[in-house]
Amino acid sequence: MPFALRHAVFRASPALLIIAVFCCGLLSAAPVAAGEKVLRVLAWPGYADADVVRNFEARYKARVEVTMVDSDEALWAQMHAKGTPPFDVLAANAAEIERYTRANLLAPLDLASLPNTKRQLPRFQALSLIEGLTSAGKVYGIPFTYSSMGLIYDRKQIAVAPRSMLELWNPRYRGKVLDFNSAQHNFSFTALALGYTHPFELNAVQMRLIAHKLIALRRNLLTYYTLPEEATAFFIQHKVALMFGNYGTQQVELLRRAGADVGYVIPDEGVLAWLDCWAMTRSASDRPLALAWIDYMLEPEVSGLLPQRQGLANTLTAPVDNNDNARIVWIGPVEDIQRREELWTRIVSGDRSERF
Amino acid sequence: MIRPGLTFKLSVLLACIGVLASGATGYYAYRANRAMLVNEAGRSLLTSTELLGQRFSVAIDDVGADALVLAGMPSSGEVAQTDDGLGENAARERLAQVYSSFMVHHPDYLQIRLITRQHYGLELIRFDRDADGLVRVEGNRLQEKGQFAYIFDTLAFSPGRLYASPISVNHEYDAHAAEGKPTLRLGTPVANAKGAVVGVVVIDVDLAGMLKRLQSDLPSDYQVYLANEWGDFLVHPDGSKTFGFDKGRRVLMQDSFAVTKPLFEQSQSEVLVNGLTYPRQAAEQVLAFVRRPFGASEGNRFIVLGLAKPLEDVLSDANLLGNRIIRMVLVFSALAVLLAILFARALTKPLHILAYAATHLFAEHAMETLPLKRTDEIGVLARCFDRLRREIKSQMDVLHNKQTELVHLATHDGLTGLPNRMLFMQKLENAIEEATRRQEGLAVLFVDLDRFKQINDQFGHSVGDKVLVVVARRLKQVLCTADVVARLGGDEFIVLIEGPRAVEAAPAIASRIMNTLNEELLMDGQNMAVGASIGISQFPDDSGTAEELLLNADAAMYAAKSGGRCAYLRYHDLLEARRLEQLEQARAQASEGATQGHEAEPMA
Repeated sequence: MPFALRHAVFRASPALLIIAVFCCGLLSAAPVAAGEKVLRVLAWPGYADADVVRNFEARYKARVEVTMVDSDEALWAQMHAKGTPPFDVLAANAAEIERYTRANLLAPLDLASLPNTKRQLPRFQALSLIEGLTSAGKVYGIPFTYSSMGLIYDRKQIAVAPRSMLELWNPRYRGKVLDFNSAQHNFSFTALALGYTHPFELNAVQMRLIAHKLIALRRNLLTYYTLPEEATAFFIQHKVALMFGNYGTQQVELLRRAGADVGYVIPDEGVLAWLDCWAMTRSASDRPLALAWIDYMLEPEVSGLLPQRQGLANTLTAPVDNNDNARIVWIGPVEDIQRREELWTRIVSGDRSERF
Repeated sequence: MIRPGLTFKLSVLLACIGVLASGATGYYAYRANRAMLVNEAGRSLLTSTELLGQRFSVAIDDVGADALVLAGMPSSGEVAQTDDGLGENAARERLAQVYSSFMVHHPDYLQIRLITRQHYGLELIRFDRDADGLVRVEGNRLQEKGQFAYIFDTLAFSPGRLYASPISVNHEYDAHAAEGKPTLRLGTPVANAKGAVVGVVVIDVDLAGMLKRLQSDLPSDYQVYLANEWGDFLVHPDGSKTFGFDKGRRVLMQDSFAVTKPLFEQSQSEVLVNGLTYPRQAAEQVLAFVRRPFGASEGNRFIVLGLAKPLEDVLSDANLLGNRIIRMVLVFSALAVLLAILFARALTKPLHILAYAATHLFAEHAMETLPLKRTDEIGVLARCFDRLRREIKSQMDVLHNKQTELVHLATHDGLTGLPNRMLFMQKLENAIEEATRRQEGLAVLFVDLDRFKQINDQFGHSVGDKVLVVVARRLKQVLCTADVVARLGGDEFIVLIEGPRAVEAAPAIASRIMNTLNEELLMDGQNMAVGASIGISQFPDDSGTAEELLLNADAAMYAAKSGGRCAYLRYHDLLEARRLEQLEQARAQASEGATQGHEAEPMA
């Protein structure tokens, strides 16, 4: 019997183990958050798609926070937003880059850290020849993509391709016109349509005149849009005939994919065009990571997505349908952004022309 | 002693089982209780969420009803068709009074407007709200709103139907308090007398304010989430996550809470998840989400409402119970330890008794406690053991008796039962030692029967033996119990007399012996007297050793016997007589012939 008992005692030891396991089970291990690199990116729709961001995050073991903007005004507001952590890199058109450089918001870029710039077309490597990208011999922006901002029209409703932006005011299309909700471009393209030689340098009289013109445009509109997807939805649902294509060819691509039979024209009076560039902010905390992002954007696999997904041109390959006759007016810094925005907010909100 | 280890081990084993059982029971009770509490909290949370959603729908419906009332005012159609917002218009002013009273009674309304289809969607009546109260916007400050979806979409509706806008942030310029506020717009067409749509009534609702009012009676630890039909957060405990679409970085509910995906895919209408069962999907929270359509059926608009309650709050009761369970488990464990000790002792006690009995095999008191009456295995064991012990004991007793008998036979005379020579010599030696120590004397009486040989020859050996037995009995009778009488063999007996006056008493005793042996005895009808000659030797005078004392007594007896029958002689007297005799002989030799035939014989 004592033997049997002794066995029983030994057999009881696993039971003690079980108790121990119970006790251990009650204690849960708290995960420890590791210090992680974070890159804050300010970009436009289609520039930093989720898969592109994921690849970058995996390659550089960093987290990327992308904030989308839909207008230059929103971009400026984001850069000046209080209470949010500062951005490290941003995409803006050359004129805006100049503005940010003047405002001392950007850090100069070291081209040696951006080897992919060597892959760019020669005319985009000649940075000093592009207005706004250099200052005091230092480079502040790297060209990424560009587009003209022409007219998009429904070929079913408009048989003959329109030749001027003034078609937007055509009462025939009342309630079937879309405009982009942005102060600077609306004033600029209207100035261009009115035949002003300096669309970015408007005097007070011209400004007032254009404001009235823009109210007239508003009265002819269905509505304003900000995002390309939004424009596409309005275009399809409300049988829009004509619109100012702020996103240019990117929007044409989107509309065609949505089943619209659209044409894209560059008006005779000339077309505004933007050249979006990547820049690094002065407040960038991890500059090597910010530069890595910019260089990554110029990789053929990433830049190649622009024509493929967005219908936009990139800076590595020359577009096939290059219209040499078109009068391209690269967006430049405007005389008084604040004034334009002030007027524009009132115009969009519905203030009547008598009040201008 | 019996191993105390067995009781200890058994106690530990039983205590472990008891502690484990009570611990496991407590633990599972605790877990079950937690799960129950969380489920209960989840159900009540879901009910609250549904209720909140219902209230929200009702509130929106109320707004819609207000819009319909305003649009249905008889003068609305007329004003919308003919007014241009400028100049006097009595009908418009009457309507405006109604609008203003609606504004007064509904603090959630940011704006109420009557907007005409004409003049590019010009506002005709507009009430705003600012910090000071109502603001009537009039004259050329009225704006053209035809470019907004809530106007052109509502104008496309037939009278009596309601338009609900997506919930967005109001960025319209000069909108007073409405500017920058999350806004829901409800619109309905205004028809003229012919039924044609000539304008719209639009009510802007302060969504945050309305929700705050709706959730005012929710417990303070509830957190409220609200998302639009695409999942953008409109209400979130962390304000920076709301209206992400307006800030360029969308924060979607289905990304933050993966469980809400089916709500946006419209495959489910409510979701309940708790952080206890699904810690990855609801970290430290109990969450309930409900999809709630609103604004009639137009545009398939819906919101997703969510309520969250910290798991900690839900489980606080469970923790209370947990503490109680821990206390209970401790008490029961202590009880289990106690019971284990008692039980182990009860179980091992008979074993201890058996073991004690085994180690004290022939102690009677050890047997008294044997559990012989038990009916279990221990009883069987005890009974077997007892039987075994009895058998051993009886055999041992037999052996012991035989041994005693053998010892008796070896030291006693078989016929008379008196000690034999060997035993006598031992006793004599012991007596000498004792006497030496006490400085006392002792006497040895050598008794030889005088006529035994004749009796033997005349009546046979059997009579002789009987005579010897009688002689032995008589010897014992005349002697004190302290004196020792032994049979040396044949008709020789020997007596040892101890005590302080042994030497002085010896002649008297010898004389008593002679008297008793000279008495006639009747044997088989024959009278006979044996008679005896006795030699006495004394310690320490005659010798210091047992052997010599015996020899000397023998010699004295022999001298007595040869001197004549029925006499006793002391060895001391014998020596004296011999010395005298030798003196006599020497004198006789010296005067030989002078005197002859002189006789001298010792006499008792």
